[in-house]
Formats: sequence, C-alpha cells, structure tokens
Amino acid sequence: MIHRLSVSLIAVAAAAAAGAAQAEDIAQAQSQWFTDAQAVIQATLAKTPNTNRAKNVILFIADGNGVASNYMNRLWAGQQAGGMGDEYIQPQEAFPELALVKTYNINAQTPDSAPTAGAMNTGVKQRFNLINLGENAITDDCGTVAGNELTLFSELMTEAGKSVGAVTTARLTHATPAAVYAKTAHRNWEDEVPEGCTAQKDIATQLIDAMEAGTVDIALGGGARYFIPKGTATPNGGKGHRPDAVNLVERAQAAGIQYASDKASLDAATNDKPILGMWTDSHVSYEADRPETEPSLADMTKKALEVLGGNDKGFYLEVEAGRVDHANHDTNAKRAMIDGKAFADAIALADEMTNDEDTLIIVTADHEHAIAMNGYCGRGTPIDGLCMDVANEGIKHADKPVLAADGKPYTVVGYLNGTSSVLIKQEDGSYTAPEGRPEITQEQAQDLDYNQQVLIPKDSETHSGVDVALYAKGPWAHLFDGTIEQNYIFHVMDYAVNNGQ
Amino acid sequence: MLTRRAFCLAACAVSLATPSLSQAADGPIKLRDLYNKDRSFSDLAESLKGRDVIVEGFMAPPLKADAAFFVLTKMPLAVCPFCEPDTEWPQDILAIYTKRVVDVIPFNVLITVRGILELGPYTDPDTGFWSMARLGNARYERF
Repeated sequence: MIHRLSVSLIAVAAAAAAGAAQAEDIAQAQSQWFTDAQAVIQATLAKTPNTNRAKNVILFIADGNGVASNYMNRLWAGQQAGGMGDEYIQPQEAFPELALVKTYNINAQTPDSAPTAGAMNTGVKQRFNLINLGENAITDDCGTVAGNELTLFSELMTEAGKSVGAVTTARLTHATPAAVYAKTAHRNWEDEVPEGCTAQKDIATQLIDAMEAGTVDIALGGGARYFIPKGTATPNGGKGHRPDAVNLVERAQAAGIQYASDKASLDAATNDKPILGMWTDSHVSYEADRPETEPSLADMTKKALEVLGGNDKGFYLEVEAGRVDHANHDTNAKRAMIDGKAFADAIALADEMTNDEDTLIIVTADHEHAIAMNGYCGRGTPIDGLCMDVANEGIKHADKPVLAADGKPYTVVGYLNGTSSVLIKQEDGSYTAPEGRPEITQEQAQDLDYNQQVLIPKDSETHSGVDVALYAKGPWAHLFDGTIEQNYIFHVMDYAVNNGQ
Repeated sequence: MLTRRAFCLAACAVSLATPSLSQAADGPIKLRDLYNKDRSFSDLAESLKGRDVIVEGFMAPPLKADAAFFVLTKMPLAVCPFCEPDTEWPQDILAIYTKRVVDVIPFNVLITVRGILELGPYTDPDTGFWSMARLGNARYERF
C-alpha cells in the first residue's frame, strides 16, 4: 500500500484521467520511475477507509527513532538486503496512513521519553520527566501527585474487558513501558520514592500492583534488579537493587503470575496466565550483542500476541524498541540501526499475526535525537560508513570518499553533540582540536563500536525536538493525517476501539 | 595539549623487532573480542592469557589521581562510571595497571595499550576496584 495523499479522491481521479490521456505525448512515459508513480496513483484511488471497530490496538514505539533515525534504519536494512538502501521499504513504511508528530512536553521544547509516552497513553501532554500526572503536578514533587493522577488507556481497556501488555528492550520500569501502567512524579523512581512520599509507590511496585489487579497481563523486557531486594541475587545472577527488602518477583509468583528469566522459560510459559519476563538486570542487550538466551523484540512480541490474542474481547499492546535511543545517546549509529531493523522485524511479525479488519497498528517514535546526515554521497554509500562520492556515470557511488575542507573523509551519519566530540578536553579544562578531526578509515567507521564525530562535547548525546513520523493501518487509521500533537494518538486509539461512541 | 611522559615508546622502538603499539602485525585487539555474548571470556581471550597483547579503546576518567591504574572502555565516557555506587557500568571494560603513574589522555582520544593479559577476579587493594580482566605492566599511546 502507499501513503495517503491529502487531496480529495475526486481531484486525484480527475488529474489521473488527464494524465493518462497525455501519457503518449510524454517522452519519459515508459520510464519505470514514471510507471511506478502512475501505479501509486491507482493504488491511492483504490483506498477505502476502514471504519470497523478496533478489537485490538498495537502501539509500536522506537525510542528516539525520529525521521532521521528512521531514514538511517531504512538504508541499513536495505543494504543488508543487498540493495542501495534508498529504495527499500520498511514494513511500517508500507502502511497506508502517515502523520508527522509534534513531540514537545508542556514545559520542554526538547522532550524526554516519560511525558511523551504518557501523552500517548493518556491523551494529554505532560511535564518533563514525569509520567501520567496532570498539568498541575510538578516533576520530582511527591506532594503534587494526589489529585493529579490521569486515567490510562490500559485502565480503559481493562474496563472494556480487554487484555493489556507491555514489551520493551529497555527496563520494564523505564519511561516508555512505565507509561502503560504507572503514575509517578519522577521517571527515575523505579524502585524507591523519596523519604516521606506516600502519595505514590515506586514504578516496579506499580507494575506488580497492575498485574495483580489484572490491568497488565504480560510484561516483558529487562530491569530485574528493581524487583529484587539489595543483598539478594536476581534470577539473572546479578544483584538486586530495591532498598525496601521487598521481593516483587516472589510476590508476583505468589499471585499466580508466571516468571520467565530467559527465552527458554518464556517459551515454556503457558498462555492462560499472566507472564512477567525479565532477561537482564538492567536494559535488554542491544540486538548486535544479544545472546541466544535472550528473546529478540520479535520473539517477545510474538509471545505477547499469543497470550493477549486469547482474549475474545481484544487487547492493547505497547511494544518499545528502547535501545535505538541508547545507541543514539552514545553516538553509536551502528547499534542504533541494527536495533532499528529488529524493531522493523517485530512490526512485520505483528502485522502478519493480526488482521487489518480488527487491529489498529500504530508505529511511531517518542522523540528524535540530535542526529543528521552528511552529504553529498552517491547511491549505495554504506549508511554505516564514510560518505562516498557521487559517480557521474552509472548509479553506484564512486570509489573515493568525499573529503571535507580539511582534506579528511567523514561519515554519512552525524550527531551534533555527545562524548565523541572532535574537541578534546585539555589540561586546563578547555576544549580544543589542535590536531584537527581524527582521520578515519572505512574500516574504522564501519566498526560496531564506532562513535560518530560530533561537534559539541557533552556527557551524553541529546534528544531533539524535531517531529517524528507515525505510520498506521487498520480501523480508523485514516484519522492520522497531517501534522498532529503527540497526545492525539491516544484519541485515535480510543475512538477506534469505541467506534466513535 | 597533554604531553606523554611515562612511556618509553621511542626507546622501546629502537629495535625493529619491537613494534610500536599501533603497528603490531595483527593490529590491536578490540575490547569486545575478549568476551562472548554471554559475558564469558572468548576463546581468543583464553588463548592470550598471560601473553603480551595490544588492545585499543579509550581511557575512562581516572578513579584516582596519580595512580598507576585506569579503566579502558570501548567507547568514550565523559564521566567516571566507576566512582559512584549504583551507576551503570559499561560493558567490555579492561582494568589497566601501568608501569608508571598514569599521564591522563583525554577520554575521547582513541588509544592503544600494551600489557600482559590477566583473567580472573581481582580486587584492587588501593581502589577496591573489582575486575575480571586486566592488562599488567602496561604502556599506552594515542592510536
């Protein structure tokens, strides 16, 4: 399928008819570029809005995967498939509906992942670093929690008799999955709240509360240390971190929730009881580093759909590729793009396992990063490597890299800030580049651990406020169009499951 | 700009049989090559145990001034992740015990380190730093 155009069908039909009549007179009419585009016109004309009631909603979020990151992922996947990369279509890019999303928070031009996920799960924008509290709540102030707790999409779905799941490659208590079930004055209160704070519990406890209450039926990801007391070993062989001596894994198991600590135990878990699965003590491994004992994002998504699909009334599932964000923070573009491919694989699987007639699938990001692409590179330039020159003849890039004014090559992918600054900290504390930029080879640039050159030195590369894309298919997906506010996503999900009632 | 003071690379390189750190025949080892995905040591690491090896990486901001010790990381770290309890440690690190007091190289400059590879648990009596892999009697230089 193709993206929806914002002109009326009647107007398009008229233009296409006129175009067809004139095609014989157009010199390029036999070009494949021309005929492919003509086919898109016909496919667009054939589109009909899906006004079924959505039984199921799947919200895919790749953390920090804005338009530039998504472009990088597309070229990586396409080049891994043997093509130039540009022409490749990621599974979500074949969805019929598209919008651009404005991601800012109430008080932040540059958003963080807590209020952005909260906006998608509640229908209202929120304040920086807090999750699912109203606009009068103040971040880090427990005293402003009471009375400001928002109603969650997961709670509405539970009331409607549907099942709910959260799947992530980050910690289950991290911002994006937490927004499915938690309400907190600070995203960092993962396993403890400040002394004297009684208005809310820590995020890990809120997850187990939600699973016991039946609001969350399956939760898969990382972060076991926040469920295990200090001084106690985690099921993964590490150390627990909870200061309150409560073992939440034992509590969950006592409540009849199945616990899985690796892929084998996840596979062995039955689909008729809730499942809590955590493969790591902190975030799940990057896809590039993932041992076979950890399920992939697609593996987790598959299990979640098998469990949730058992409910005849339907389900809500949020799936997060949490580590595109982390690799971008490290200015390590290669791990980001590899995790981007793992995200696309999970989307393709979910699309295959569900029916467009009754399942609304939304694919988006919570925010973009300070990432951008350099030019001018020829076709087929490895997206994980140096920018290679445009060849004047043929299609594929020339054999030589493009050189900057300093006579040195540079990578296609760049970041504006981060640890890998070309400015080097000197003994007097100043940052300068007396030897200029490092001169890098293609082999160095394509190394898994390579960090892109950046300008501004920072401890960690930052998010940016640039729009992110949203792709959708299924019931009422056509309500996504144009440039939207991030909190609007909740409203389409809610409208779709209620069929506008 | 910092000047290197402690390491005798020029003197060590007088013999053609002694390669400079960045010009070993097989090139420097990457930190990730020492580990399997399940965090156990790789066959390469086991085969090089007790031998003189060259590893590339970045000098993490030192835990302690004027020590003959630093941590090598695979990516640049602007702050010392080992200095506070409860902070997340990066994967693929190597404890480096140097021949001389460390002359700090900025955290985002790629370096190579040459030393004797030691494997197995060890707690540093001075810093309390616990490591599973180390280079002993090490020298280092900018890549």
